[in-house]
Amino acid sequence: MAIDVAVLLSAGRHPVSGRGRRAPGDARALKLALELLSEPRAVHAGDPATPSLRDYLGMGLDAVTVLDLPPEADPVPALIRHLETTPPDLVLAGCRAETGEDSGMVPYIIAEALGFAMVPGIVEIISIDDGAVRLLQALPRGQRRAITAPLPLVATVDMAAPAPRQNTFAIARRGRIHRVAAEAVSDSERAGWQTSPARQRPRRLGASISGLSAAERLSALTEAPAGAGQQLIGPTPDDAAQAIYYYLIEQRILPPPTGKEESP
Amino acid sequence: MTPVRRDPRKDRQRVRRRAPTAAAEVAVTIIDDPACLIFAVPDLPDGKLSSHDCDMLGAARILADALSGAVAVVAIAGEDDFAAAGADQLVEVRGGAFMGYRPEARATVVIEAIAQFSPRHVLFPDIATDGGHVGRLVAARLGERAAGNVQRIEGTDIERRGGGGTLDYVVAAPRVLLIAAEAAEPVSGARFEAKVIGSTSAQGDQRLADGGLQAIDPNAVPLAEADFIVAGGSGVSDWEAFHRVAAALGATEGASRVVCDSGVMARDRQVGASGTLVDPRCYLAFGISGATQHLQGIQRCQRVVAVNTDLHAAMVKRADLSIIADAQAVMPALADLMEGKRRGD
Repeated sequence: MAIDVAVLLSAGRHPVSGRGRRAPGDARALKLALELLSEPRAVHAGDPATPSLRDYLGMGLDAVTVLDLPPEADPVPALIRHLETTPPDLVLAGCRAETGEDSGMVPYIIAEALGFAMVPGIVEIISIDDGAVRLLQALPRGQRRAITAPLPLVATVDMAAPAPRQNTFAIARRGRIHRVAAEAVSDSERAGWQTSPARQRPRRLGASISGLSAAERLSALTEAPAGAGQQLIGPTPDDAAQAIYYYLIEQRILPPPTGKEESP
Repeated sequence: MTPVRRDPRKDRQRVRRRAPTAAAEVAVTIIDDPACLIFAVPDLPDGKLSSHDCDMLGAARILADALSGAVAVVAIAGEDDFAAAGADQLVEVRGGAFMGYRPEARATVVIEAIAQFSPRHVLFPDIATDGGHVGRLVAARLGERAAGNVQRIEGTDIERRGGGGTLDYVVAAPRVLLIAAEAAEPVSGARFEAKVIGSTSAQGDQRLADGGLQAIDPNAVPLAEADFIVAGGSGVSDWEAFHRVAAALGATEGASRVVCDSGVMARDRQVGASGTLVDPRCYLAFGISGATQHLQGIQRCQRVVAVNTDLHAAMVKRADLSIIADAQAVMPALADLMEGKRRGD
């Protein structure tokens, strides 16, 4: 089945050097799209002269459509208007931008405006058939969930997805950038925000320890908290195994046994 | 004239609060006539408040105190002790929208509750695939500009991270807030009312179908992210049985420093202050006595099970369930039991 895929590409920024680059999440989205079809629609809203767009082209893309907007404009209305004219079946993007507000809201607003379903944090597209997509979603703690979603769909790609393709210089040079005029809607609200460089906050060490004396805080950090302290002294190996097993079931660490057996 | 000398330690002592151990019976704080409502929508993985949920409720309390409002939790009633976590009120969710993976239905229920009670702020824990997803769906449907990755709350101002983690924005709190982990201290040593103020039984549309969690290789997961760790120490000599029991339980393998030093396990498997600080939901320790550095590594573990021959080991003191027996005997028995259960005997 021929499927029309649009990939939203943003201009990335290296968090340490501040240099422009392809946004790693968007690059992973583009890789997934290029595995589905050779000619996905790639859309960027911003300055057509952004050098990092060449990094996306170098992944094997022929052309990028750039909705020409000044840097302070809101990209979302222009993207919605562009996608509305010929709605794609599947819109892919990274989870968050590396520049700007970085709220992760852009795909949600687009999905809402186009009436598409929305799946966050996918790592793999397993299959597409009959207007439904089977996806693999990355969860915290390395878990994966399979999701079946109807088309049309907006999906964001997690950083746990396979690493993006390398950027090839010659292909990047050859790639074309289609400039499309777009109506700029300025983001007046954000202009008034107070901005400062991000301050790394210390990771919390123990449980809530504010308001105690220094000695108590120190002991809260260095002493191990006592557990619930249920003890089985010298059980037979089988009893011990049973006890551990039922504890794990009770605490929902293991999935509950299916039907027939009952706990003691 | 003698100058007045002040001892700064004395000053600090005066404002020092009582240790929480002294206050076992806490009086319930009742907010009678709140100026506004602050909604908090916890994720409740496994039906229990996660530490991220508790942080989010702490953030809701800061907002509620600044606005002299009340915190209302939107959840299935009775899933956890919301009163101790800082909830003044409870909007009870009936029906299946809050059970299982139903983010769109959840969003519909929350929007319904917002329409019914018109809260001033709605808070979600910012986990991209869970609360962050529901919160963003709600914000997109309501046309609200949500603040994601909120790092700190002061009064009614919030500090949120943006620009790919390089910038902090300080803004007045918008209606929908997605709270990062550890953005606020969880409520402790206090109790609130958690009075049911209403219920919603909206049935939302759910377009995504859950295909269930997929089997993953537990040892491919980094130790720091692992959900369930089986660790071996110097009390383990039968390593074949150890690997067998870890595989049978589907747990990630960990080890103590002694074991890693001896080369039996790789260095990236070491748990402890000089290895990895882990925070699994469960930590099953075979033959680990519990050196201070090791206990520091497992400080954030929610549940600890210890199998050890020494009744007086520090690990046994730390454990929620301790088995005083030889690991070499328990490991094969547990592996046999698990393999038997899997086959369906």
